[in-house]
Amino acid sequence: MKINLQSALKNEFGFDSFRPGQETILKNLFSHKNTLAILPTGGGKTLLYQMYGALSRQRVMIVSPLISLMQDQVSRLQYLGSKRVVALTSALDYQEKAVILKHLNQYQFIYASPEMLANEQVLRQIKSLNIGLFVIDEAHCISEWGPDFRPDYLNLGKVRHALGNPLTLMMTATATKTVRQDIIDHLDLESTSVEQIVLPVNRPNIFLSAKILSGQQEKDQTLIDLVRQLHGPGIIYFSSKSKAEQAAVTLSSQTDRRVMAYHGGMDTQQRFHIQQQFMDGNLDIVCATSAFGMGIDKDDIRFVIHYHLPANIQSYVQEIGRCGRDQQPGLAILLYEPNDRYLQMNLIDNTIPDRNLLQYLYQHPKALTNEDQFRVIKYYYDHGYSFDQATAVFDHSRERRLSELTAMVRYVYHDGCRRDELLKYFDETLSEDQKNSAFCCDHDIDFWGHWQNFNDKYLKQSEKSVEYRPQSWHEVIDKLFLLKN
Amino acid sequence: MELSILLLIFGSSEQFRRVKAIKNTLRGRRTVSNLYWALQYDMLDFVDSLHGTGFGEDEVAVKQLKVHGLADTDDNFQFKLTAKGADQQEKYLSRLLPLKYLALGSRYDVAKFMRRFSFAVQIVSEFSYTNNKYYPQSINYFEDQLLKRWFVQTKHTDLPAQFHQLLNGFLNGLANDELANLFVQSLVGHGFSGLTADQIATQAHSDVTVVNLEWLQTYGVLLERVLKLPNDNPFKMLTVGLEKPIIAQSAKETFEMFVHQENGSLNTIAQKRRVKLTTVYEHLLEAAIMLPVTKFPYKALIQPESKRHLEASHPVNVGSWTFEAAKQEIPDLSFFEFRLFQIYRSKSADEN
Ligand SMILES: [Zn+2]
Repeated sequence: MKINLQSALKNEFGFDSFRPGQETILKNLFSHKNTLAILPTGGGKTLLYQMYGALSRQRVMIVSPLISLMQDQVSRLQYLGSKRVVALTSALDYQEKAVILKHLNQYQFIYASPEMLANEQVLRQIKSLNIGLFVIDEAHCISEWGPDFRPDYLNLGKVRHALGNPLTLMMTATATKTVRQDIIDHLDLESTSVEQIVLPVNRPNIFLSAKILSGQQEKDQTLIDLVRQLHGPGIIYFSSKSKAEQAAVTLSSQTDRRVMAYHGGMDTQQRFHIQQQFMDGNLDIVCATSAFGMGIDKDDIRFVIHYHLPANIQSYVQEIGRCGRDQQPGLAILLYEPNDRYLQMNLIDNTIPDRNLLQYLYQHPKALTNEDQFRVIKYYYDHGYSFDQATAVFDHSRERRLSELTAMVRYVYHDGCRRDELLKYFDETLSEDQKNSAFCCDHDIDFWGHWQNFNDKYLKQSEKSVEYRPQSWHEVIDKLFLLKN
Repeated sequence: MELSILLLIFGSSEQFRRVKAIKNTLRGRRTVSNLYWALQYDMLDFVDSLHGTGFGEDEVAVKQLKVHGLADTDDNFQFKLTAKGADQQEKYLSRLLPLKYLALGSRYDVAKFMRRFSFAVQIVSEFSYTNNKYYPQSINYFEDQLLKRWFVQTKHTDLPAQFHQLLNGFLNGLANDELANLFVQSLVGHGFSGLTADQIATQAHSDVTVVNLEWLQTYGVLLERVLKLPNDNPFKMLTVGLEKPIIAQSAKETFEMFVHQENGSLNTIAQKRRVKLTTVYEHLLEAAIMLPVTKFPYKALIQPESKRHLEASHPVNVGSWTFEAAKQEIPDLSFFEFRLFQIYRSKSADEN
């Protein structure tokens, strides 16, 4: 197929240029090559399959692990103009599922969770359709050695065969060589038949900094000082909903910035309003939980502050990647006080089953429902792992997480270029002439002594925040509906 | 919503009222016991009016009222408003629209209408700016489909102008700019992102619960307005399927079967309906509570003998008469007859 990708991008989607890697990946797909793409967050993953679907007029099936993620993607796809989109998830009730399955052929973009595809009835229905592109998002979930292993992902190789081996696009933000090989093996593909496209993790327009504080009080005060002055919009990440809410209240009262909390525990309508306000520039800052990504694509976020330590370097890189998508300077700040480490260790203890729980579940396997928290245990139980073997797997997993956490803490205390330290985990190095020491990290310049100057020099106030906003109800309805004549 | 505020609104300074019964009435738990107390508290119009709303713990709410001297409580989670509580109630009632606009939620799913309307505003607002790059609100599959169909069928009718006109008329009709300003903040559209209830409450130094009640009430007023429009009006379709039955479907079927086969035995009905006899009693009691007193065949269900005994021995306040006390007077009295009699007397007193 001969297609002018550049002009299609402009005419059909209104973008002037591709993001790095997008064009190469699309060319691969149009020449029918299975592709494994390692793209950083915000690298425009959605556009890839959306554009392929739109130009080839084929049906696209996307496997994605989390409901919240899928809903975000559905709305993003709709935002970009595709309306024939549906998501098959466990969030649907019985009736909705029945109706959607019956009319599945009306949709061009079908999202499904891997659990859904394990269902015979669902798979039968999908088999009756022609799938032109099979997309596996967050493909690293397929690897038992990866941090987010989802046993249901192992089934996807079979699903792919059942669908008649359609063209396949595997995508993830970060994956080591081992994980990449795992993805290809588990999908029953030949390494030689898969094109791998690995994009650099480095984001030169994001300045890296971290500050070690004596305790929570000092950390809170530092956060207030930063928020008072930093030119927004910005995101502050927390590892708990309650702390995010608390901070939003404090920051609203202690600064003149407009701050709201945003997390999965809030009702959808409320979240929608906040998301929309942030998009429109009516909010300066959101206090978010790291587990809950915003579905929106906001290009002009200027800073990301981590109030709590992220679980690992991969998550950290993903989360700071939300700022500076417009390629303008952005700022990443990590605030740390020694107790933060224990907070993360508690989180690890809470997510990995301990020996007692494991023993109980092995003795009472009926309790191993499909509940999310037991999914992984159930997988090992069903696959004949003995109690000792399963214990070893989880012990190993705990150790790995602890060592990832150690690496994260090492980043905070690192006495050298932070960029080098971050990129080390992705086997990426920068030569001296690829670096800009004036805009790199707080090791290379005295950032903390002069951050106000940095702020004034690099972080540009968004134009959106000064737009006219209607106040009275008369003005609001006049603004809402643009009347001809 | 904060339960303590609802308790103040629906409490009484003359009668001890059950916290649980008020909460369950508002969220539509239709047990005979709840409905019976709703009748005694004059709350039948509010059954299910706050369906799906989360409330806090009973204990916490009651404690809060007590600590602030707003209510007295007894050991059975019943409470009665103090003079200060009655004052506070008065303040809420004067701030809110008449409660009948909240009661509308008992007959129509106002919360669903609110989400539909707000989504429709977004669609039409972006349409009026010929923009199709936006994040749609999305409710759930069926609601999204309804909105899609509605838009396809009506977009040729100059919707932006129609919306403007509807809202202008409605908001002017409220004759309360403060409330009208609050209403429009529930909307989202092109370049306008509204406010959350929390944000409004903070700005207006009000309670989030009060803001949410005000939203429900104003949407109630709007819904009434839309329901009165002619059937071919484009807004009419946004009210499809919002109506709620007054009596639960299965109770209704039992009741109708009883009415049709005059004086048929309740055992036969239980067999035909494949339910327990006690369930038949419950269904009939629900019908008795929810229907006007003249629409229910009390005579056929309370034996003349029992009726005579009941009339002779009931205390002045029939509503709080306990079955145990009644049994002392009338040893072979059944609970079913006893409750029916209570309902009959309470409703007759109300309707006179
Ligand atoms: Zn550096």
